[in-house]
Amino acid sequence: MLDNRGLVKKRLGEMGLGPRREEEILRELGDHLEDHADELGACGVARKEALREALNSVSDWPALRSEIILAETEEATMNHRTKVLWLPALCTLTLTNALLPVLHFAGFLPHFYWLSRGMSMGPFFTFYVPWLIALPFIGAGTAFWSQRAGGGVPHRLVAALAPAIIWLGIFLIILPLSLVLDRHVPLTLRLGAFVTYVVSWVLLPSIALLIGTAPFLRKPQPQS
Amino acid sequence: MVGIDPKIKRGSGELAILALLNQQPSHGYEISKRIAQQTGGILQFNLASLYPLLYRLEKRGWVKGKWEEAKSGRKRRYYHLTRAGKKQLAPLREEWALFFRALHRIAGVANAG
Repeated sequence: MLDNRGLVKKRLGEMGLGPRREEEILRELGDHLEDHADELGACGVARKEALREALNSVSDWPALRSEIILAETEEATMNHRTKVLWLPALCTLTLTNALLPVLHFAGFLPHFYWLSRGMSMGPFFTFYVPWLIALPFIGAGTAFWSQRAGGGVPHRLVAALAPAIIWLGIFLIILPLSLVLDRHVPLTLRLGAFVTYVVSWVLLPSIALLIGTAPFLRKPQPQS
Repeated sequence: MVGIDPKIKRGSGELAILALLNQQPSHGYEISKRIAQQTGGILQFNLASLYPLLYRLEKRGWVKGKWEEAKSGRKRRYYHLTRAGKKQLAPLREEWALFFRALHRIAGVANAG
């Protein structure tokens, strides 16, 4: 009996995918050749000739080998979630943070509004208007990127809102930590600072990012 | 007869395979036969064009291959559409429909649907 698996192995050689996976691929491709040869055989082609024809259906075995290796390794190094979520999220985070010193250097300064009137100390809101204006564009770009990479609506949303989510996480860690580490500052002041920071760096940026993200949050309608 | 460029075939292959597996799980050879059959032979995948595509889809988690016994009694690697693959179908269909609409506008290419 002809060993199709062996015929495939002879043409593909070692692929460096691990013995188990390689064996599976060789067996599967061997089965495909077998089916092809069977079909030709059913049409009256002699067994040996049928198998040769099946093998010849692949014109470039080294190219097939490269394609298989690429398919097996490319997606492994950058899996689906990385492409639709982590990469866009990281890029948005970097861009939103990098934009702050750039705007500052360009002479666009934030406006500060203290929580207690007439005081220049204590918790304050920060309104960085040029930065907030830029955020919808960043949000739109991120959602579009995630969508193009095949991300669903939750992926697009989380990737675009990544900066706000991370800042919220940081503030949620800082507040309890400050309660433990620094007991001299009154609790009301700390809570006030928390609220102003969340509004300035989480709530407003979230709204701005969402404005840009919104057009990309529609689910495509299934085709009838 | 006008053939289909391999690059176009490859791009459309993802949708063709996912749509087929949405109908029923199949092994590789069966997939290639069914694609040829259902497209009237216009779209054809051989061993070289089919398996890298299937492996790519499997790596993405859109399809899952399992060794199962075929009707012939032989063990074959059957591909099943995963939940993630099912989710991809609608956006892929939409994307291709959009593509055909755009082509129709610019080049008078009629939507196959």
